[in-house]
Amino acid sequence: MSVIDIAKGMGLTLGYMFKRPVTVQYPRDKVQIQPRFRGRHHLLRHPDTGLEKCIGCSLCAAACPAYAIYVEAAENDPANPVSPGERYAKIYEINMLRCIFCGFCEEACPTGAVVLGHEFEIADFRYQDFVYRKEDMLVGTKGSKWQRREAEAKGKDVKLGFEAGPRPELEGVDY
Amino acid sequence: MKVRVNDVELDLAPGTSAIDAVFAAGGDVPYFCSQEYMSPIGACRMCLAQVGAPRKERDGSWVMDEATGQPKIFWFPNLMATCTTQVMEGMVIDTLSERVKTAQNGMVEFTLINHPLDCPVCDKGGACELQDRSYEFGDGLSRFQFDKRHNEKHHPLSDLITLDRERCIQCKRCVRYFEEVPGDEVLDFIERTAHTYIGTADPGLPSNFTGNIADICPVGALLDASSRFRGRNWEYDHTRTTSMDDATGAAIIVDARTGRIERIKAALNPDVNKTWIDDGTRFGHEYADSPDRLTTPLIRRQGKLEPATWDEATAFIAERLKGLSGKDVGIAIRSDSTLEEGVAAMALAEELGTGQLDHAPRPAATLIGNQVATITDLATADAILVVGDLTEEAGVLDLRVKDALKGVTPPTLMPHGVPIADLRLKEHMPRQREILTVAAPYRVDLMRHAGATVRYPAGGEAAFFRALGKLAADANALLGEADEAAAGMSTGQARALVARLAAAKRGVIVLGGLALNRRESAEAARALVKAVGAKELAVGPMANSYGLELLGVLPSHERYGYAGMLDGAKALVLSHLDPAQDGEVAERLRGKDLLVVHDIFMTETAHLADVVLPAASVYERDGTVVNLEGRFLPVRAAPVDAGSSTDLTGVARALGEAMGKRLEGRSVRSARRVLKKRFDIDFAELPDHGLLPRAKSRGPVKALAGEVAAGTGNVLVVPSMARAEYLSRNRHLAAAVGGNRLRVNPEDAVKHNLTGGAEVRLKVGGTWRQAVVHVTDGVPRGLMTIPSLPEQPVGLAQADLAGIVVEQVRLEVAS
Repeated sequence: MSVIDIAKGMGLTLGYMFKRPVTVQYPRDKVQIQPRFRGRHHLLRHPDTGLEKCIGCSLCAAACPAYAIYVEAAENDPANPVSPGERYAKIYEINMLRCIFCGFCEEACPTGAVVLGHEFEIADFRYQDFVYRKEDMLVGTKGSKWQRREAEAKGKDVKLGFEAGPRPELEGVDY
Repeated sequence: MKVRVNDVELDLAPGTSAIDAVFAAGGDVPYFCSQEYMSPIGACRMCLAQVGAPRKERDGSWVMDEATGQPKIFWFPNLMATCTTQVMEGMVIDTLSERVKTAQNGMVEFTLINHPLDCPVCDKGGACELQDRSYEFGDGLSRFQFDKRHNEKHHPLSDLITLDRERCIQCKRCVRYFEEVPGDEVLDFIERTAHTYIGTADPGLPSNFTGNIADICPVGALLDASSRFRGRNWEYDHTRTTSMDDATGAAIIVDARTGRIERIKAALNPDVNKTWIDDGTRFGHEYADSPDRLTTPLIRRQGKLEPATWDEATAFIAERLKGLSGKDVGIAIRSDSTLEEGVAAMALAEELGTGQLDHAPRPAATLIGNQVATITDLATADAILVVGDLTEEAGVLDLRVKDALKGVTPPTLMPHGVPIADLRLKEHMPRQREILTVAAPYRVDLMRHAGATVRYPAGGEAAFFRALGKLAADANALLGEADEAAAGMSTGQARALVARLAAAKRGVIVLGGLALNRRESAEAARALVKAVGAKELAVGPMANSYGLELLGVLPSHERYGYAGMLDGAKALVLSHLDPAQDGEVAERLRGKDLLVVHDIFMTETAHLADVVLPAASVYERDGTVVNLEGRFLPVRAAPVDAGSSTDLTGVARALGEAMGKRLEGRSVRSARRVLKKRFDIDFAELPDHGLLPRAKSRGPVKALAGEVAAGTGNVLVVPSMARAEYLSRNRHLAAAVGGNRLRVNPEDAVKHNLTGGAEVRLKVGGTWRQAVVHVTDGVPRGLMTIPSLPEQPVGLAQADLAGIVVEQVRLEVAS
């Protein structure tokens, strides 16, 4: 190793001092997330009717390699349906501690009801708080359980620490 | 005869269908309309194959192929439906050629034209024959670009069965099922071509066997309404076990999910139930998931029952037992306890040194006769006499009797199991009704299929059998007028019946609960069985009545039996029994030094108990039962969440530990060691279809159960398929059968001011019963019938008809 080699290396290092840093001052600054990033799940609704897309078929649970999803279906009341058709998900739960965010559930879903969104700030304190129920994932619910608890305590809106480009599958999801 | 299937040479019996030849050769053809126990009709056209056969010259020699020197194969010009083609000598079947594959692919595409793509919401999804076959034999594409047929998606055929008319592929299985198996023409095709749909003439499905059509439907058109959307097929834990709802021991599959039983399906047992079960078995499970199930032991402290641990509860019992003489303790278990539980009860009785041990309900006569028929004997009988309401008591036997009427012997098993298409079966087969005689004090369902019926006066079983016995001894004897009236038949009728039974080579006499509950009638019946050289099939009151009697869970003396111990014993251990429904018995139970109740609900008796132990329901036990023909059948526990409840072996273990003893029946394994010594059978290895070893009982039963007085009564307590005590908790079944039926003659209804459909309470014997009035001319004037409870012996009882309380009047639902 010669002095020239050392100078080359140091030069490379020195060069980076004049480039824009890639480190983001999270949570003060927002992270830029790729559109196809796989974060926590959203349960979507049909934008025109407002009915849930989920029909409770449990195919996501069947596809899940981590056994993180539990679905219990029930029959729609024709006068007051939850979803189009006869069947809807009475209980829909995802255990975010078990979930490996592989996206198989999204692929298995015949109606495009469950889509992995961009939210990744789902750290929490108690095991039970990692089990996300239907109301925690339906469109219109912003933020993780913990973020929503904190926002409620402070009386402020949920503040998300990221920005992401649009993704057509996330129909109706607005960050 | 020699048959070649895709280069596999087979030697098959004449009469075999081509589809069975293919399966016997290890091949596969898809099919939707064929079903093992129904006539093959070739409706779905899926089982097409290329079939050819050699031809004979006029002189009887084969037409030879000059090139090969072998008989020349003449191929049928079109593909043949293999399920309706019978094999011939030298037949060649090809299921692998391109032509066959194209045809199968085309048929899948054609069947799917009008089949909706709603597999994700369909309860059949994942266990659907059409889905599986489409994957295997279809190519995944459809060229059909128009709208599919639209029809009713959710048509409730009955409270138990939902029909989705879009999904139907017109295989005709359900239509054929009703005509061929229970013999009621209920369903049929309506309209033609693509507009064809399944429908009924009248609303509802008037049969006890409707649930089977949900099992045999190859698509999701007919579905079990009670388990609608409860789970997907791959999510269920399937437990193959034996039904404990009646004495036939039908094979069932219990499907449970997250600790709940969601549905019950029929399983195959060719010697018992084939693939059919009755609705009571299929839909009568909802009580096991009731939220009011007992989940922890309760101990009475300062007059109140409080939750406790098993250790506390058993320590409490052991402490209280110390102050008592063992002889004063009575132990009674219900007759649907397993053999293993019987061993536990016997070990406990032996440890305490008490002879007060019994199972209840137990008929007054023994169930183990000298000439016990098998169910197959019944299905192949050439003369049958049924006494009682077989449809209600043991539904499977009702179907097997109807098998005998067809005169087709059960098929021989093939390498792939039961033949898929039995060509001897036809649609609308003539039935030999004349071989069946049904006798009962009121009109029963099976009478519609019988050649001769007898309606004898209630309580007249003994007179009925004695009259027949008299004619069997002397064919020229004459019955007096009084005898004729008591037996409900004329001398001529009786003579014809006896002649038929005596002439038959395989005669079977089926004794229902009413015939068995009086010693004199059972003795007269058995004398008749002997005199005419027939076999008998005694229908025990519960699933393991035969087994517990065989094992010897019996009192040492008649007065120590169940009825006696309620009076005499100072302390009682009752498993699944609720005698306190009778107000007088409840008073006596209050005076007991110790009352231990092992049950699944807070029953009347449990409210009086000192200790209540949570029990496992019949679906949650491992063990063995013996059905009415003496067949040992395995019972396996379904994963049901019921807290710390356990069966009687668990009680024996916990109580034994508290007493410092290791009792013999402390676990299923330990009980099976005892049973192996007794019966020389390894019960852990019992095959699904059971074993029929003709185990010898320990000689005649010395201590017979007490019998109901012969006297008169105005209400006949009748044995029933639907468990009366749990019916209110079986929501769907209760809706379908309309509750516990108090059947009343129209004239009596007017007399007592009862309207059909009214919910009433009445005191039968000492027990208040809730029932729904059902006005029918099927019961004679001056008699009402009500389904029995396990604690209430069948037979005539006196009810306070003036004191009937009408709770609610409903409109009568057509039935």
